[in-house]
Amino acid sequence: MRKIDRATANAYFRIRTTLIVIYLSIGFLVSFGVVFFARDLSSFSVMGVPFHYYMGSQGAIVTFIILLFVNAKVSDVVDKKFGITPEQIEQKDKVVNQ
Amino acid sequence: MDAQFLVSLALIVATFALYIGIAIYNKAKATSDFYVASRGVPPVFNGMAIGADWMSAASFIGLAGTVMILGYDGLAYIMGWTGGYLLLTFLLAPQLRKSGRYTVPEFIGDRYKSDFARLIAAVATIIISFTYSIGQLSGSGVVIGRLLEVNTVIGTLIGVVLIAFYSALGGMKGITWTQVAQYLVLIIAYLIPVIFMSMQLTQNPLPWLSYGEVISEMKVIDQELGISEYIVPFTEGSKWQFIALMFTLMAGTAGLPHVIVRFYTVRTMKAARWSGAWALLFIGLLYLSAPAYAAFSRFILMTEVAGSSLNNLPAWTQAWVDTGRLSLADGNGDGILQWTELVISNDIVVMATPEIANLGIFVIGLMAAGAMAAALSTAGGLMIAISAALSHDIYYRSINPKATEQKRLAVGRITIVLATVIAGLVALNPPGAITQIVAWAFALASGTFFPALLLGVWWKRANGPGVVAGMLVGLGVTLTYIFAAKYGGFTILGIIDTGAGVFGAAAALITNVVVSLLTPPPSKKIQEEVTNLRYPEQIEYKDGEVWVKDAK
Repeated sequence: MRKIDRATANAYFRIRTTLIVIYLSIGFLVSFGVVFFARDLSSFSVMGVPFHYYMGSQGAIVTFIILLFVNAKVSDVVDKKFGITPEQIEQKDKVVNQ
Repeated sequence: MDAQFLVSLALIVATFALYIGIAIYNKAKATSDFYVASRGVPPVFNGMAIGADWMSAASFIGLAGTVMILGYDGLAYIMGWTGGYLLLTFLLAPQLRKSGRYTVPEFIGDRYKSDFARLIAAVATIIISFTYSIGQLSGSGVVIGRLLEVNTVIGTLIGVVLIAFYSALGGMKGITWTQVAQYLVLIIAYLIPVIFMSMQLTQNPLPWLSYGEVISEMKVIDQELGISEYIVPFTEGSKWQFIALMFTLMAGTAGLPHVIVRFYTVRTMKAARWSGAWALLFIGLLYLSAPAYAAFSRFILMTEVAGSSLNNLPAWTQAWVDTGRLSLADGNGDGILQWTELVISNDIVVMATPEIANLGIFVIGLMAAGAMAAALSTAGGLMIAISAALSHDIYYRSINPKATEQKRLAVGRITIVLATVIAGLVALNPPGAITQIVAWAFALASGTFFPALLLGVWWKRANGPGVVAGMLVGLGVTLTYIFAAKYGGFTILGIIDTGAGVFGAAAALITNVVVSLLTPPPSKKIQEEVTNLRYPEQIEYKDGEVWVKDAK
């Protein structure tokens, strides 16, 4: 165990939270946003399906999946940048947890 | 006894033997195994297990039918049930994982330092999981009823026996690996008929790319018939109902105890994030296919069934008319079945379409096995959540803290059997379509757990009195709205019973915040523990200082 600066810990939390806010805003936009303007967005089509229907049946879900994988990957990068690696998990936890 | 019956039965029995074999192989030995599978499940497999746990009879049997009947308005279910994973994975799961508690009521009890809050949470877990399992049993009734060509009531009873038997046997560890197998069975069973229909109708094996063509053709037919067009939004309910339902399903997903407990089976926050991502990918495969399934089913019904002579209907119709879920009435007496004279229940579309499209006995049998996998896997997870709430949070923590592990396991198993039987009795006469019953469970979860967990993780000032008041108000508002809307015709902005969660969640959030601010803040220790949830396992926050663990 070693002590780290409070400011570093806060910076870590701030980065993670900012990213989450961005991801959630995108998710909100492709679902609630499109539904709210569904009638206006039905005038053009994607793959033969009017846009509002396409987003509801495929676009939003694919966006959600991408967001979750981006989050998982980016979080790993952020963790690494702050010197957090899986090796730090205590050995005894590993044994218990396997 | 025809060939179809034998093939379906053989496939169901074979897949069951597989699940039970896995369950026995992993038979639970200790309490920690029984509840959370010793926290050793890799994210990809945990993702599949979450997928199987998640995709219930509502997703498998009910979803495509609901989209087919409601058109665009049914897509609220698709976006709501997938979008919930954003809230869950971003806002709750990693933090709850770090808190390291066995169950959701335990987290709420310890975080808010309130035994009463833990009890309310345990009771809410039981109410929510119970409501949800009614939908599952009702779904297994549809499948078994059709398969054995018996009344849905007898089908449901058979489902009860099966579910009680195997959830009591395996526990979570058995169930985790069993659910991986169930995921594979149900996704294969779902994709094969969609792909076959896609090839039949559009000569393209990729339904996700091809069903636009079918939708354009249906537009023409709808206009000729003068009925409301399939893809036009808000024909079945108001825009606000769509939004409220979508919110309810998302927040409910993030607050469902049996789904959250899945994230306790991984080792770290990192693994929780990856599990969430894999889970949604596996779930997405089915959810992306459901609208295609719905479009193909509707098209086949419109072009191949509607317009045929009533004296000359295909053989499949009779079996479904017998289950009481399909009605073909010759309203204008011309001897021809019009589209408007065909009334099909949401719940049989998925099961009936492969028969209608004449996909062959093997595919139809596979559908039955897949549907049973979906109903059973979710019911299994629900029963574990109910038994954990009762044996761990109520019995062990409140009634008999000296209970031995064996005794607690025994209480857990008895609970499972009792809960399944009672849910089965209610399911004999289901109070709504499967997706609707399940939506009520989500409304209750979004009115109770979602606000309690969200504030518990993100706002350290939230305290015991706040959460108690919040959960009680949320539960009260949600239940009142469901009953007032369903039986009293009361609505706000056209929002009906299935969208009740939006009011429950709002009321619970406001109550929790207001009561927390009016009462003393939680102890410094609790506040520090909440701050500690911000950081991964490698970082520890205590006494205002931050510590990092060294690599070993």
